[in-house]
This record gives sequence, C-alpha cells and structure tokens, in this order.
Amino acid sequence: MEDNRPVSKSVLIVDDHPSFRASARRLLEASGYAVVGEAADGAEAIAAAGALEPDLVLLDVQLPDLNGFEVAERLAALGADRPEVVLTSSRDLAEYGDEVDTSPVRGFIPKSELSGETLAELVG
Amino acid sequence: MSGLRRALIGLAVLALLIGCGSAALILTSDHASPRGLALGLILAAGWSFAFTGLYAWDRRPGNNVGPLMTAIGFTWFFQGLAASNNSVVFAIGILGGNLSYAIIVHLLVSFPSGRLQDGLSKIVVGIAYFATVPLQIAWAVLTDPTTQSDCEGCPTNPILIGGHEGLASAVNFIQVLSGIIAIALAIWVLYAHWRRSPATERRVLSPVVFTGGLAFTILLTQLVVGELGGTSALKDVFFAGAIAVFTLLPFAFLLGLLRSRIGRAEEVSSALTIENAELNAELEAKVEELRASRHRIVEAGYAERRRVERDLHDGAQQRLMALTMNLRLARAKLGEDPAQAGELLDEAMTELAEATAELRELARGIHPVVLSDRGLRAAIGGLAERSPVPVEVLETPAERLPAPVESATYFVIAEALTNVARYAGASGATVRVARENGAVAIAVCDDGAGGADPAAGTGLRGLADRVAALDGELAVRDRDEGGTAVEARIPCG
Repeated sequence: MEDNRPVSKSVLIVDDHPSFRASARRLLEASGYAVVGEAADGAEAIAAAGALEPDLVLLDVQLPDLNGFEVAERLAALGADRPEVVLTSSRDLAEYGDEVDTSPVRGFIPKSELSGETLAELVG
Repeated sequence: MSGLRRALIGLAVLALLIGCGSAALILTSDHASPRGLALGLILAAGWSFAFTGLYAWDRRPGNNVGPLMTAIGFTWFFQGLAASNNSVVFAIGILGGNLSYAIIVHLLVSFPSGRLQDGLSKIVVGIAYFATVPLQIAWAVLTDPTTQSDCEGCPTNPILIGGHEGLASAVNFIQVLSGIIAIALAIWVLYAHWRRSPATERRVLSPVVFTGGLAFTILLTQLVVGELGGTSALKDVFFAGAIAVFTLLPFAFLLGLLRSRIGRAEEVSSALTIENAELNAELEAKVEELRASRHRIVEAGYAERRRVERDLHDGAQQRLMALTMNLRLARAKLGEDPAQAGELLDEAMTELAEATAELRELARGIHPVVLSDRGLRAAIGGLAERSPVPVEVLETPAERLPAPVESATYFVIAEALTNVARYAGASGATVRVARENGAVAIAVCDDGAGGADPAAGTGLRGLADRVAALDGELAVRDRDEGGTAVEARIPCG
C-alpha cells in the first residue's frame, strides 16, 4: 500500500447488491478509507451524497432506478461541494463505449479489480 | 313430357291458329288500312311475342316474364279481330285492342324478375291497365266507329250507347293522356332501373331497355302525332316502325332472359369468388397469427436471454465479485491477522456455495437436466417439491414422450406453479398429466382467488405460443369450485 494515500478520505458506496457493498466496505476500510454510508439505488445515492458530503462516491453503473451515469450528472450539479465519483461495474469498461470518458467522473474500476490501490490511483 | 310443356305446346298451336285467323280477317277486311302493314304488324309481333314467351315460360317456369310475353302475343291478336267485318267480332277486337300495350308496360317495368318491385312501377302498371281496360270499354261503348276518320268501312258498333259524343271525346282524351303518362313513366322507370343496376345486370337489361324504350318512344310519338292530326303518310311511317320494333321486342326480352341465365352462372362464379376471398382472408389471418406467434417466440427468446444475463449478473456474478474481493482481502490479512483471514475465507466459501446453487438453478431454468435424464415424472416431482405452495401430483405418464412435448409440458407446469405461488393466494395445487386420444392433457389447478388474466403477463402467452408451435392449445379459466385451472393439450401420436 502506498504511504501517501489520503487515509481520511470519506466514501459513499452505491450498489444494489448488499454482498458487494459489504465486501467493498471491508476492502476499502482495510485500505484506510472511511466508508461513511451505503446506498442501494440512484435516488438514495443522491440523497446520501447531499446529507453525508463524502469526498468520494464509489458508484455502480447498473442501478434499479437511474443508471450510474445519470447519478454522476446529478452529483456534478451539486457544485463546489460535489464529491469525486468513481464508477464501477461487473462489466468491462469497453461495454460502455466512451460514456465513461464523457461523464463527470474520475474514472472506472471493474469490480473484479477493486482495491484500495486501484481507487487511490484514480483519486490520489 | 311434363304437363306444363304439353300445355305450352297447346298454347303454341292455339297462337298459330289465332294468328292465321287474324290474317284471314285482315285480308278480308273492308276497313283495315293499310292492309299489308296491318297484317305484318299483327302476325310478326303477335307470333314473336307468343312463341318467344312460350319458350321463355318453358325455360323459366318460375318467372313471370314467359307468361306475360305469351299474354302480350295473344292479346295482340285482338287487333286482328278489330279488322273483322262482323260487328260483334269487331267490337271484341276494339274492346281488347289496347290491352297488349298495358301488358308490355307491365313486362317492361317488371323485367327481368317478372315481379313489380316498387310503388312507382305498380302505379305505372295501374295507369296502363286503367287506360286500356275500363277507359277502353267506356270509349268503345260511347263511340260510333263509322264516324271516325280512320275507320272508313268499319261495321256498326253493337254495344254503342249513342248521343254522348262530348263524353266520348273526354274519355278519349283521358285515355290518351293516361297512355302518354304511363308510357313516359315506364320509360323513366326502365331508365332508372338500368342506371342503378350493376354491370352484370345491365347486360340483362340493355336489350330490353333500348328496344322497349324505342318501342315506347315510337308509340308515344304515334299517340301525340295522332292527337295533333299528322298526315296519313307520317302515320304509316310510324306504323311501319312500330311493326319492326314490336317484332324485335320479344327477342330483346328473350335475349335479356337468356343473359340473366348466364348472369346466374356469373352469380355462382361471383359467389365462388367471394367464398374464395373469404378463404383467402382466413388464410391470411392464420398467416398473420403465425407471423405474430413466430415474432413472439423470437421476442421470448431474446427476453429469456436477457433474463439469463440479468440472473447471471445479479446472482452468481455478484457473488463471484464479492468472493474475489474477500479473497484479495484475506490474502492481504494473511500475514498480519490470520484469524480475520480465516473468517474471510469462510465467507468466501459460503459465497462460492451460494454462487454454485444459483448457477444450478439458472441452468435448470434453461433446461432441466432431470427432465432429459429421468423424464417428466421425476422433473414434475422436483417442481412440486420446490414449490412453496403444497402440490399434489395426481397423474403423470409412465412412459417417455417426445422431447419437445416433455419440455413444453414441464415449462407449462413450472410457469403455472410459479404463478400459483406468486399470485393465486392458494393453499394447495394439483398437477395432472395424462395421455388422452393421441394427445397429452395437462392440468394445473389451484384453490386460490381465481381471476387470472392470461393476456396480462408474458409468461403464459409465451407458453401458449410454445404449445401452439406443437399444434397444441393452452387455456386459463376460473374453476367452478374456485381457483384457477391452467389446461393445455398437445398432440402426441
């Protein structure tokens, strides 16, 4: 693990699968992130981001209501207090074409590659 | 030979004899003028009407056209009687001399059925008969023919009631006026009938309309010219024209009648065409239904693939993702915290077992292995065991069925039991699969709320298509004793 990672960075995990949220929370907390909340869909994610003001949102692309790109757009509209957003999915990046590049997000991590290190590479 | 034909032959002989008699009267007449033209008109038109009428009567006994034409032929010979030098015969000829024209009007407006179809036709015929029977009698009783300019040499009138010249003129005026009105209206009725007729019927009407129209026009002109006092030569021209046209008229009727026979053949052909078109429409509807069904099957295939992808993504794939992360974390903790690493590995094994179970369930949804390995009885038993609602399997065939039939049967029961568990609110269900008369009869019944709508969901409709693809049928109904019955029947030689 890198020594210069922001250990106090607060994270909101957004995913509709509880098993993934639980594993991701454990993995990120083990890497020094502070998981401040979880959300199971887009609407819950936007509400939680407003209430918890996390530094970072780990956002699944496939959600039951809005998709991850729409949620990222809404979060970007929060202005100066907007959190950094990293998209994640069990699908490959290639399946989304250039949608990730044109979205207001820091990047994309496939779920199979999610770790504190891969996250730190994107958000510093 | 039928009685009718014998009678018709008798009438033909009678017409021949009456014609000859009329000819003799004309040839010996002291007053018929011009004698040649009169003879031509009486014989040519009388016989042609009588003989063509009898022929038409023989060919179409149920149609009034034949009898009417025959009647025209016979009444026409009254004109021959009027040529007689005998006063009684002469009087009879005068009394009935115009009746044939009224019957011609009757025939024209009722052609080709021989029945008067509407009120106007009845009025026209009524006027024609009124002018030629009661008015003719009144005129004959009141008129002394020897005083008429065109009746030089005529015998005395035995039924004359003299001294009413003014009244006789009035009757004559009403008679001519009625004749003109009847003829003009008849031409109008004929034209209107022809105009509103379809092309096939016009072929029947055309000869009659044109010849009859021409005959009546000549008759009308003759009447008008007669009233206005035209020259004798002019009257002779119309007389000759009348001979030609009235001789042709019965042949026009006959031609029309024969065409109507052809028309009937065309009607049969047209009926066949309509029947053919209906069969075509039915066939097209079937093709359309097949096309729609094929489309739904393809759509159902896509939907099924999307469902499998979704199930894989939401189920096994998520578990495998979590497993990956747990293993990664366990590996990181292995050195610093072996106890936590052990817990993570236990969790990973649980995730793995659940992922395996989900994959097995998914595979069963795509194709149940137990069905192909051990047959319907075992597969249905498995469905009954897994159903959250208690299921009693009443009957299943002991022998194996063709694979597509087994597969469709299995999925009908699986879908029906899923619906029972989800929507029926039932406390129990029964399943029965039996071979009946070369088919497999499937029935899944529950004791729930009923009111299932097969059109509401895609599941049952997809199954109906699947069953229809095997020439089978699927129906969903409310049971009399409560609950829902899903019943299917699939042919199975």
